[in-house]
Amino acid sequence: MGHLIANAWLRGLVHGALLITVLMTAVAWISWFERKFAARVQSRLGPTMVGPAGLLQPIADAFKMFQKEDIIPRGADSLLFRLAPPLTLFLSLATAAVLPIMPGMLASDLDIGVLYALAFSGLLAFPIWVAGWSSANKYALLGGMRMVAQGISYEIPMVLCALVPVVVTGSLSLSEIVKYQAAHHWLVFWPPGIGVIAFVLFFTTALAESNRIPFDIPEAESELVAGPTTEYTAIRFGLFASAEYAHSVVSCALASALFLGGWDGPVLPPSVWMLLKTAALFVIVTWVRWSLLRLRSDQLMALCWKYLVPVSLALVLGAGAWVYVVG
Amino acid sequence: MLEQVAFAVAALLLLSSGLKVVTSKNLVHTVLWLGCMLAATAVLFVLLQAPFLAAIQLILYTGGLLTLMLFGVMLTQRDEGFVTIPNPSQRRVAGGVLAVVAFAVVANAVHNTPSLPNVRSAQLPTAQVGQLFFTQYALAFEVLAVLLLAATLGAIVLSRRADAGVASETPGADVPARRALPDPTAPTTERKEA
Repeated sequence: MGHLIANAWLRGLVHGALLITVLMTAVAWISWFERKFAARVQSRLGPTMVGPAGLLQPIADAFKMFQKEDIIPRGADSLLFRLAPPLTLFLSLATAAVLPIMPGMLASDLDIGVLYALAFSGLLAFPIWVAGWSSANKYALLGGMRMVAQGISYEIPMVLCALVPVVVTGSLSLSEIVKYQAAHHWLVFWPPGIGVIAFVLFFTTALAESNRIPFDIPEAESELVAGPTTEYTAIRFGLFASAEYAHSVVSCALASALFLGGWDGPVLPPSVWMLLKTAALFVIVTWVRWSLLRLRSDQLMALCWKYLVPVSLALVLGAGAWVYVVG
Repeated sequence: MLEQVAFAVAALLLLSSGLKVVTSKNLVHTVLWLGCMLAATAVLFVLLQAPFLAAIQLILYTGGLLTLMLFGVMLTQRDEGFVTIPNPSQRRVAGGVLAVVAFAVVANAVHNTPSLPNVRSAQLPTAQVGQLFFTQYALAFEVLAVLLLAATLGAIVLSRRADAGVASETPGADVPARRALPDPTAPTTERKEA
């Protein structure tokens, strides 16, 4: 495939910078969208004062975050305390490197894109736990512990569900998986029945990995103040918040690339289709967040180990059988 | 050129974080330096054009590390909120001897390997790696799987036995860590005293 920029290092740099800029800008207005959406769900208006329809609110928020006092607790492990927020953001953005936005446009067309994305989203529990531990605050530590428990457990069904497209297409590369879907069927529909269940489970576990309601147990505000981020103030807290949004968006994009055909679609250009699908999934994420209740910690574990893991194992077996019989 | 620089940085990081793992007194710091070391190893795999190994390295070892960290925090003594490792000065000689022996074994193994294949030309697509697991190396693969299964079963058996002991004999006698924790089911009068 002909690339605009020949040097691989340079191409990675340019695409990466572009991707990060787009993602971080998107994250800012996604926070506006979520506030508006939440307000409508609760019969409020949401932000209205800054700019038309409150559209400039994210910029005002960013200024506010930068101006606020930056507090590091006296008992905290200050180096780790300061390291955790940027590391969280780094990991959630790093996953985006393998997202296929349109044919030929991705920072790195790795042979093992799916594994890469799963590896980095699995690492995310790490800096969040470090944040909880280094705060020297029991609520923060409890939140961090829950984060690790949840992260380790939900990673398993997530990886298994992501295996279904891999088994069907026979490739670990995200762009290959999207190309297969463009040529044959979208994988939500393709092994009929199996595909749609795998998609729903993948989306659910991705929600759990990115800590959204009904799975935001690590920072359950009614029990743990704000979980791992309890002691964080100012822009350090802002980094955590944007990392969470970035991770949600990246998970949605990953789900649409794996199951919804990625850039494939009629009339509109490929990148628009990819963005539309990601946006649609993100609307569902927000919708779920503002209409469902939070699960209890033990319910969360029971759901994962008693239902999601066996079902996703069966899905992988089913997909294997399908490929063996139908081809 | 860029590759050499990347290799130098990764190798330096690997060595220095390895040293930090051994010298750090704080248990959580040790585990984090270990994570740093494993990530640097993954970078080396990437430079050897083995991205599959690199990704597996990240997925497997970080999962393991996280659990290690949890156990580190839950099962060791706490000193002013931070987990510290007791001073190991009397075991320095023994540790040094062990390290030298381990190094000799590995160095000997590397030295006696007839000739390492040229990695760059021997780079395999991931699909072929998978196929090799199920054909040429099927026996090793299955043996490893059985070994891991045995380890899992062993862990379950050991933890179940500890549970049974607690239930039937003196409660908490063989689990010293439990004594420090307050009993959540204790009657409310006790809580008022505390």
